[in-house]
Amino acid sequence: MLTFTEEILLLLLGEEDGAFLPVNSNAFECALAGATLMDLAFALRIDTDLESLIVLNENPTGLAMLDRILARIATHPEVMDAQSWVRLLAREEANTIREQALASLVDRGILEQRERRRVEHYPMRDGTAQREIKLHIREVVLADDIPDPRDVVRIALCDACSIFPEVLSEREIEQATPRIRQLRIMDLIGREVAGAIAAIQRTMLMAVRARLARFRRYVLALAAIGGIATLATVLAPRIPVPDRFGPTLLERLWGDGAWQEWSGYVLLALSVLGFAAASLRRMRFAAKIGDQNWWRVMHVGLGLSCVLLLFVHTGFRLGYNLNAVLMGCYLAALVSGAFAGILMGGATQLRRFGFAQAGRLTRLPMRVHVIALCTLPALLVIHLLIVYLY
Amino acid sequence: MSTVGTLVAVGVVVVLMMVGGDRRALLIGATTDAHHQLEMACETCHAAPAFADAETAKNELNKTCRKCHEDALDDADDSHSRKRFRSPRMAAYREKVDARYCTSCHVEHRPDITRASAVTVAMDFCVACHSEGEQDIRATRPSHEGLSFDTCAGCHNYHDNRALYEDFLVRHAGQPWLKAEPVHALSAQYRAWEPPEESAIGPGAVAAPAVALADAAIVAHWAGSGHAEAGVACADCHAPDFAEGGLQGDVEAAWTDSPSVSVCRDCHRQEVRTFALGRHGMRQHPEIAVPREPGQGLATLGVDATLPETISARLSDPVPPTHMHAAEARLPMRIDAPTEPLDCGTCHDSHAVDIEHAAVAACASCHDDLHTRAYFGSPHHALWLKEQAGEAALGTGVSCATCHMVKGKRRGKVTTDHNQNDSLRPNEKMIRPVCLDCHGLAFSLDALADTDLVSRNFAGRPAVHVESIEWAVRRAEPPDAGR
Repeated sequence: MLTFTEEILLLLLGEEDGAFLPVNSNAFECALAGATLMDLAFALRIDTDLESLIVLNENPTGLAMLDRILARIATHPEVMDAQSWVRLLAREEANTIREQALASLVDRGILEQRERRRVEHYPMRDGTAQREIKLHIREVVLADDIPDPRDVVRIALCDACSIFPEVLSEREIEQATPRIRQLRIMDLIGREVAGAIAAIQRTMLMAVRARLARFRRYVLALAAIGGIATLATVLAPRIPVPDRFGPTLLERLWGDGAWQEWSGYVLLALSVLGFAAASLRRMRFAAKIGDQNWWRVMHVGLGLSCVLLLFVHTGFRLGYNLNAVLMGCYLAALVSGAFAGILMGGATQLRRFGFAQAGRLTRLPMRVHVIALCTLPALLVIHLLIVYLY
Repeated sequence: MSTVGTLVAVGVVVVLMMVGGDRRALLIGATTDAHHQLEMACETCHAAPAFADAETAKNELNKTCRKCHEDALDDADDSHSRKRFRSPRMAAYREKVDARYCTSCHVEHRPDITRASAVTVAMDFCVACHSEGEQDIRATRPSHEGLSFDTCAGCHNYHDNRALYEDFLVRHAGQPWLKAEPVHALSAQYRAWEPPEESAIGPGAVAAPAVALADAAIVAHWAGSGHAEAGVACADCHAPDFAEGGLQGDVEAAWTDSPSVSVCRDCHRQEVRTFALGRHGMRQHPEIAVPREPGQGLATLGVDATLPETISARLSDPVPPTHMHAAEARLPMRIDAPTEPLDCGTCHDSHAVDIEHAAVAACASCHDDLHTRAYFGSPHHALWLKEQAGEAALGTGVSCATCHMVKGKRRGKVTTDHNQNDSLRPNEKMIRPVCLDCHGLAFSLDALADTDLVSRNFAGRPAVHVESIEWAVRRAEPPDAGR
């Protein structure tokens, strides 16, 4: 039988290319920690109450991944509650849990390990297990039967990682949303496993939400400022070049070729860094610097600094001919990126207003963002050629 | 896909830049007035090699600027010449404004910072050098004390300051606003020419196709023109290769109904030359770059290949129009302005060569700005009508051409400068050759400084007073000089 950790990893792998689906890394890390603790609880190795998580039985389960965590809990010098353990394991053990679970799935012959463009991929060797898990979850969610406690855990994990869109159609999600909400808070598990699972589940969801909320606030704030600044670039009246001779800052910024050259290159560097922050965040080395949310905040922050540098470089002037096209595409990339950031960062608030699928709304601005970005290399090279050739 | 698209787009632009094709989409900003006529011929101004360093690029731009503007700068006795700023003594000033380079003050394709006369620095730029040290104008000219530097350009012109030379101002101090005998002497001399009697010269002696000679009006016009008087017959213009002793058959075979400007140039060299210096004919300036040869462009890229004709045709530069059209003008033009290319025949009737028509009616057939409209009914116009009617002496009338196509003398003959810009930008340039024939200097300075009065085509008295003469007189004769 697969562990919850293995099941959640299987659900997060793309069927065709074996790459991980885009999922919030904080939620993912908390889900891995929670899943491990719930595996231990189902194996009757740990129990929880409001104030503490205690070890009932130190005997190994036979699974290296679970036994290592069990040993860590057993030898920990102080007693902590479930919430603290979820946070600690999410922070310190998530990567190891993930790698061990993947290795276990490879050993079981379900996955195979490949590397493409320095990113590890895990294509399915045998897709049966994944299909069966998806089918089972679908049946549980869409049926009216009282679910098995393990199913309740699976649903909580799927909800924590927002992977229902990979399992259910849009219409099915709409239909199943009330039941998912109900199952998530069911106390069935408490009766079966002495309340440990329920506590871990609640803790895990709380931890996920708390960590997400913090990053979402950053993303929302930065994206909102960036969006407003970008719209101001388009709509605000042009700031005239000062009509006073002298080394004024604005005169130099928009009248001195050397200054414009510098501001242009700084803008280019920030744009490249922003692109790198978005595209490298899934690389292994990037995880050592910061988790995916940290990289996302960096990406949005760099986007905001690009808006400011764009003002320094152009003074809200939209340009002429191909320069106007370049400016248009650049602004489209910034506006769509800011809009996607606002939707992503404000997902919680949007849900309160009834937009249950706020995450899906980001798809259109993200597409516009990517398309606009695709045009930039050519337009930038042309811009530089025009400047240096004439 | 994105990489392929990027490479294709960049490749297309590189080919456009280095080999051939229409590059107007690459313009980084609207071109200034007049220069917009040359947009298709980038190399007219951009002659520096690709990826040249900034110093080389600026030097090359300087050279190309001077190709067209050198004569005007020399004539103006440029008070801030490049030569002057090359001196090591001027190093400190060069730090403030590097006046060795035209582009320090005139940057093309920057409409957002372009001011009058294509200046792209703030108009109080005199402050850079004339606010301290030995060039501090407030110290050397007490009269200028208290004036802010944004007022300098109201009287002075950076390159052409001739209207304000002190000895000139002092010499013309105290003149009445209108002279006792206001006559433009060169115009009087020019208009004194009497056309020949139309019947005096018959067309029978000239070789031309019968169809051409069948139009009696044309023949009559020609017969009453200076051309007939000078012995310029039909074939001289319409079949120039057979003008001397050509047989009737040869003339008929080579006949063209629309002779080119080069035919006019054979005799009117000075007029055609100056025509190409002004906005009307600048596309015929000899320094305008010719379209690039795709083969040469490929050679500079190190590709030695003969292109198939179809590809070569696609890579060829568009051939720029050889003449200006009224529709391209940025000044207000009449909606019924002639649509034909602007050349000699646009203003001068080809056969009658009616200089009176060319002096007013031809201008008004295109221009529709306030100044042009106000001319009709203005005092100058009234004088012009009187002279035309024979009620006033020759040279007393003031036409558009009197002020904008200034008369001069060359080898004893009166010639007309067909560069209309020679007496404009700044308009004080017309004071010496035109205004002073009839008006006093003080009145002329005031009138030309009053933009509203200029719009009204000088109907009224100036509401602006330029104190230059008083200041110059005070400086030349200090109040205590007589003691």
